[in-house]
Amino acid sequence: MSLEELFKEIIIEHYQHPKNQGHLEHPDAKSDGSNPLCGDEIAMELIFDGNVVSNVMFTGNGCSISQSAASLITEAIKGKTIEETRTIMNEYKNMLAGRDYNADILGDLEALSDVKRYPARVKCASLSVAVLDQALQQKK
Amino acid sequence: MDIERIRKDFPVLSRIIRDKKLVYLDNAATTQKPSVVIDAIADLYKNYNANVHRGVYLLAEESTQAYEDSRDAVRRFINANSTKEIVFTRNATEALNLIAYTWGEANIHAGDEIIVSIMEHHSNYVPWFRLAHRKGAVIKIVPSRTDGELDMDAFKSMLSDKTKLVGIVHMSNVFGTINPVKEITALAHKKGAAVVVDGAQSAPHMKIDVRDIDCDFFAVSGHKMLGPTGIGALYAKESYLESMEPFLSGGEMILKVTLDSVVYNELPWKFEAGTPNYEGAIGLKAAIGYLEKMGMDTIESYERELTSYALEKMKTVPGIFIYGPQRAEKKGGIIAFNIKGVHSHDIGTILDSEGIAIRAGHHCAQPLMIDCGVSAMARASFYFYNTKQEIDSLVAALKKSKEIFGHVA
Ligand SMILES: Cc1ncc(COP(=O)(O)O)c(C=O)c1O
Repeated sequence: MSLEELFKEIIIEHYQHPKNQGHLEHPDAKSDGSNPLCGDEIAMELIFDGNVVSNVMFTGNGCSISQSAASLITEAIKGKTIEETRTIMNEYKNMLAGRDYNADILGDLEALSDVKRYPARVKCASLSVAVLDQALQQKK
Repeated sequence: MDIERIRKDFPVLSRIIRDKKLVYLDNAATTQKPSVVIDAIADLYKNYNANVHRGVYLLAEESTQAYEDSRDAVRRFINANSTKEIVFTRNATEALNLIAYTWGEANIHAGDEIIVSIMEHHSNYVPWFRLAHRKGAVIKIVPSRTDGELDMDAFKSMLSDKTKLVGIVHMSNVFGTINPVKEITALAHKKGAAVVVDGAQSAPHMKIDVRDIDCDFFAVSGHKMLGPTGIGALYAKESYLESMEPFLSGGEMILKVTLDSVVYNELPWKFEAGTPNYEGAIGLKAAIGYLEKMGMDTIESYERELTSYALEKMKTVPGIFIYGPQRAEKKGGIIAFNIKGVHSHDIGTILDSEGIAIRAGHHCAQPLMIDCGVSAMARASFYFYNTKQEIDSLVAALKKSKEIFGHVA
């Protein structure tokens, strides 16, 4: 396995120039989480329009994997319905767990597929979905 | 020093990791083990295993003798007066907790002050934090100076008649700073305070003389000094141990038990409840034997040379920031750093792909991370079996990690 596969250009691009970074005014849901072992931190804020995630922003700090994952996943779910968001999250979890996954649904998020070969780093890539999970639970 | 021959004593050092020779630079977390240690443990189980301090048969005599010989080896290694002052524990953390739950429980009261430094490992902070919380005592933190050394002026100004305990790390596991524990002890004693020295990082790398330091307590972990895991030791002055209540209780720590009375065992066994880790102690004795044969002065001067070389070479990595003292004379072989634009975890993964093992994270010293304004650092830490070539490999890999992430701000 080569490092170039793990640290793909798109990952480094999203790490250095994250999308959807910042805060929302009056978010409908928000949540945060951290990996105590490594100190990665992610906080997410969401706005819903009916059943659609109409806007999502994150703040955080940590390694390239945790931060690029937050950037990529917020890109992937923005404008999607909650159901679609959950499908994306599930496929993403499948990918990190080394199970079969639907690449079409994941889109750019597939860039993180090699993380599964670095067990110590799977937690970094998973933090965002864990935080998102909590935030979605706040949606009545 | 014939490093190549020394390296042959450590079987794991010949491992190939991801097609590269293992470069093990996480010695502050735990050290590798020489064959003599591995063999000593196998020898116990192959030839004389029996529970200690119990049997009347030859095997038990042999295992008990080996266990107690190890205690004497620890005593000699840190120059304690008597084996009564050496209590075996699981590790430095347990040794420090033992003090907090026995001496601390009896002697710290509401309004008393406990002084520790910002450099403490969580294991020399959390037990005192919890004790202070239980008792309504106050914790005071000695800051470090910008040059990574302890702010002794601040320490002196914090000391008062209210100070009951001073806890200080001998060698910081992040900065590598070697703190002036002898001076600290003398100052604390003038105020009547007890002194706990966390020797987890110092004992493996430099000559320790607890009588010269004059501290009241000194904690070590066997696994950081070539020994197996699960064995450590607490040194405490005999007068302290005499006055202290037991920590854990049960078998081994008693002389006599009736249904309504218990007579505690003599020192040091009063503090060793249950079947002890005699396997660990026997391994630790072999480890100490190895270190003594090499000579702590030789180890210290070789590591200083290595650290000096590493500091000089690492400074050539673009964007690197090295925490703590910048000169090898002021520190042990521990170098914590960050590289601008490359998170320490990413550095860790990139180095791993080159077979290089370093630590990334908060190093169980989160107050110090916060003080430095970061959530994580990378750390390379050396032992006498490391070489300048390995440091060259480290530096090359650090430069590579900088390249992967591009030369951006
Ligand atoms: C300075 C210091 N103190 C205490 C400890 C705790 O050692 P152990 O985990 O073996 O109890 C460590 C270990 O990293 C340390 O570096």
